[in-house]
Amino acid sequence: MTHPASDVVLEAREIVRRYPGTVALNGVTYRVYRNQVNALIGENGAGKSTLMRILAGVETADAGQLLLDGEPIEIRSPREAARLGISIVHQELSVLPNLDLAENVFAGREPVQVGALIDRAIEDRRTAAALTRLRKPMNVRLIAGQASLGARQIVEVARTLDQGARILILDEPTSALSNAEAESLFEVIHELKRSGVTIIYISHRLNELLHLGDRFTILRAGRITGELPRAEVSRQWIVEKMSGRELADRVPTSEVRANCSELLRANGLSLASAAADQAAQTPLDNLSFTLRKGEILGIYGLLGAGRTELLESLVGLRPLAAGRIEIRGAAVNLSSVAAAASHGIFLVPEDRQRDGLFPELSIRENIMLGARSGLQVRRADETARARAVAADLNLAAADLEVPVAALSGGNQQKVLIARCLVRAPVILLLDEPTRGVDVGAKAEIYRILRRLCLQGIGIVFTSSEIEETQALADRALVLCQGRIAADLSRAEMTDEALFVAASPVVTAAHTSRQGAAPA
Amino acid sequence: MTATATRSRRSRRAAASGVRALLFLLRARAVFVLVALITLFSLLAPAFFTANNLTILAKHVAISAILAIGMTFVILTGGIDLSVGSVAGLGGMIMGYLLTRGVAVGGAEYFPPVVLAILITIAVCLVVGLLNGWLVAKAGVAPFIATLGTLYIARGAALLISNGKTFPNLAGTGGRGNTGFPAFGQSYFLSLPLPVWIMLVLFGVAAVVARKTPLGRQVYAIGGNERAARLAGIQVPRVKVFTYLASSLCAALVGLIIASQLEAAHPATGESFELNAIAAVVLGGTSLMGGRGSVAGSLIGACVIGVLSDGLVMLGVSEFWQMVIKGSVIVLAVAVDQLQSRVQARFLPLLLTAQPEGAEG
Repeated sequence: MTHPASDVVLEAREIVRRYPGTVALNGVTYRVYRNQVNALIGENGAGKSTLMRILAGVETADAGQLLLDGEPIEIRSPREAARLGISIVHQELSVLPNLDLAENVFAGREPVQVGALIDRAIEDRRTAAALTRLRKPMNVRLIAGQASLGARQIVEVARTLDQGARILILDEPTSALSNAEAESLFEVIHELKRSGVTIIYISHRLNELLHLGDRFTILRAGRITGELPRAEVSRQWIVEKMSGRELADRVPTSEVRANCSELLRANGLSLASAAADQAAQTPLDNLSFTLRKGEILGIYGLLGAGRTELLESLVGLRPLAAGRIEIRGAAVNLSSVAAAASHGIFLVPEDRQRDGLFPELSIRENIMLGARSGLQVRRADETARARAVAADLNLAAADLEVPVAALSGGNQQKVLIARCLVRAPVILLLDEPTRGVDVGAKAEIYRILRRLCLQGIGIVFTSSEIEETQALADRALVLCQGRIAADLSRAEMTDEALFVAASPVVTAAHTSRQGAAPA
Repeated sequence: MTATATRSRRSRRAAASGVRALLFLLRARAVFVLVALITLFSLLAPAFFTANNLTILAKHVAISAILAIGMTFVILTGGIDLSVGSVAGLGGMIMGYLLTRGVAVGGAEYFPPVVLAILITIAVCLVVGLLNGWLVAKAGVAPFIATLGTLYIARGAALLISNGKTFPNLAGTGGRGNTGFPAFGQSYFLSLPLPVWIMLVLFGVAAVVARKTPLGRQVYAIGGNERAARLAGIQVPRVKVFTYLASSLCAALVGLIIASQLEAAHPATGESFELNAIAAVVLGGTSLMGGRGSVAGSLIGACVIGVLSDGLVMLGVSEFWQMVIKGSVIVLAVAVDQLQSRVQARFLPLLLTAQPEGAEG
C-alpha cells in the first residue's frame, strides 16, 4: 500500500472463515485507518458481519492474522477485544430487556464498592454522562425492554463509550432507527471521531455512507473487491464493486404479463409498530399493490424497510391494523396462517433454521409436513409424492430419509419450496429466497421460480440485493421505512433507481452541518 | 386549544396511573393472597392465629422457603433444579452416618464433632451442585434432564449409605464427643426457632446478592437474554454454576434441619420437596423463563404454600382436597402472571408517554 503503516490502526490479514456449506471469508485482508470512519460495504451474505464478529472476538478465524498498531494480536473473546479497545454494536440489538439502562451499560463489568456491592451511584452517573455525550439524555432507570429501539441502540453505543473504546464497530446501526434518531447518531459519530475514536461503519444506505465515510472498503462474496478514500469514491464505483456486475448471471426475461388476470390485490395495508417487542416490527403504512397470475413481484428494500413484515402479514402471521386483501377479486380475511393456506398462500421464511426446517426430521417429513393426508400417514404414498416433487426441483439427495440438516443451504431451501408445492400454492411468498445459498444453487432457485410462475403461480419475493431483484423480478416494489417508495417495471429497475428509492432521505441541512456539533 | 391539550394530557395521565395501580395489584398479588389466607384461617379456626401455632407454621415454612431461596437463583437464569429434595435426603443421611457410624481413620473409628460433620455434609452436597452446574453450563445438558439425573443419583446414594435403613438416635454420645446436633433444628433464639433464623439470614444474604452484587445482576442478565449476556462479556457458565451451588447449599441445610428435628435420618426424606420449592418460586412471581422475579417473592410464595397446607389441615380438609386446592392455586398464580405481562405490554405506550418524570427523550 502507499499509505504509511502508522495510518493503519487495525489490520486483518488473509482471514479465512468457513461455515458448513459456505466460505464466508475467503482470504480477506482488511485495513482499518486510524481516526477515520471506515465504511464497509457489501450485500447481505458478503461476509461483513462475520469479519466484524472476528474483530470483536465473538468468532475466531479459521486462518489469518490480526495486527493492532502493527503488533500481532489474538482476540478470543468479546472481553479480550474490549480490553484492546475494540467494541462492537451488533446488528441485532443485544440489550438485556429485563434490566434498566444503567444496568445494561455496565452488564458484565459492574463497579463495586465495599468489595462486593454494586455501586449504583457510579453506574447511574457514568451512564447519564455517556448518554449526555451522545446527546440522548434518558432516564437511566428505564427498563431497556420498554425503551424504543433507537434508545436501545444508543444504550449500546453508550456502553462502548464507557468502556473507552478506541475502535468502535457499528454494524448497520441505523437500520432500526427513525430519521431523527439516525441523525443524532451521525452527530455522535462526528463527536467520537473528533475525540480520536476509529469507527468501522457498516450500512446498506449509500447516502448515509457517502455522508459519513472517510475510507471505503467493498466486500463481495467473502473477498475485498475495492478500497478507496472518500475523495476517489463515486456512487457508481460502489455499486459496481458491490454487485460484481461482470459476474451477473441474468435469467432470461419473461414476457410482460400485463393482460393476465389479477391474482392478488392489496389495498391500504397497514401494520402497527410494536416497539416493545425485542424483534423489531417495522410499521407498514398504507401499502397498495397487485400481483398478476404468473408474475414475479420483487420487494426490494433495506433492512428494516418492512419486507418481512409485509410477507408475514400476507401469510396471516401478523394481524393487520387496516387494509383489504382480495384474491381473484374476492375479499379475503387472512387472520391466521391456516386461513392464508386455505387460499393457497404459502411462505418460505427468511430464516430457514429458525422458522422453516425441522433439522432432526427427514427430508420427506420436512416436505410432507403441511400436506393434508387424512388421519393416517401413508408412508408409501408420502414417499412417492415427496420423491416426485424433489425430482421436480432437482433436489440433490439420493435418500429422502436422511435428516434435512445434512443438506446444503441451497437444497434446504428447495425442501422448503417443495413443502409449499405439495400444497398446490396459488401464491408463493419467499422471504430472501437465496440467503445463505451458494452461487450455483442461487441460479437454480431462480430457474425454479421462473418455471413455477409459468405454471400460473403468483410469486412475491423479497430481497435486499439489487442484483437479485433485477435478475428475478418482473416488477419491483421498493419499500422504504414501511412505505412503497417506488413501483418499477423491469425496464425501470436500474441500480440507481432501486438505490435511491430504498434510501431514506437524509436532510440536506444535515450534510452542511458535518462536524459542527450543536451545544 | 391549549385547554383541550392539557385536558387530554391530564386524562392520559389519569389512565396511566390507573394502569399503574392495576399493575401494582397484580405484581403484589402474592402478598394479598397471603394476607387473605391468614385472615380466612384465623376466622375459621380459632387456634390458627396463636403464637404456638404460628411458631409451628414458621418451622414448616422455613423448610420450603430455604429451598425456594436457592431455587430462585437457578430459575432466574432460566434453569431448574429438580435435585434439591434428594440432596436434602442425602445430606441427612451423610450426617446420620457421620454421627452414628463414624469414619475409619487408620483402622480406628473416628467420630467427627458436630460442626465438622455439618461442614462435611454441606461439602458433599455442594459436589452434587457442582455436578449440576457442570452438566448444565459446560456439558450443555438441559437443566431439567441434568437435575432429574442427579435427583436419582443423590436419592440412590442416600439409600446406599444405610442400605435403605434409617439412622436413629442422632443425639450423639458424650464418649464420642459428638453431642449437640439436635440443637441445630430444635433450639430457639429470641423465641424464634433456629431454622427460622437460618431462613431469615439466608433470605437477607440472598436478597442482597440478587439485587446488589454483580453476581446477582448477571444472574438476571442471563435469564433476560443469554446471548446478549455473553456478548456483554458475562461469564455465563461460571454464573450458572454458582446458582446450582447455591441451590445445593440450601438443600443441604434443609436436610440437616430435618434430621436434627427428628433426631434421625431417613433416606426417603425430601421426596417431592423440589416441587414445593418450585411452586413457591413461581407463586412469588418469578418467571420460569428466567430474568424476572425476586428472592422476596419466593419467600412470600413459600409462606402462601405453608399457610395453605397448615390451615387446611387445621380445618380438617381431607388430604386429597388439599392437593387439589394447592394445585389450583399454583395454576391460578401462573395464569395471573401471564395476565400481568399482557396488561403491561398492552399499556406500555401509555405508561411511557405519560411518564410522571417526563423523562422521554
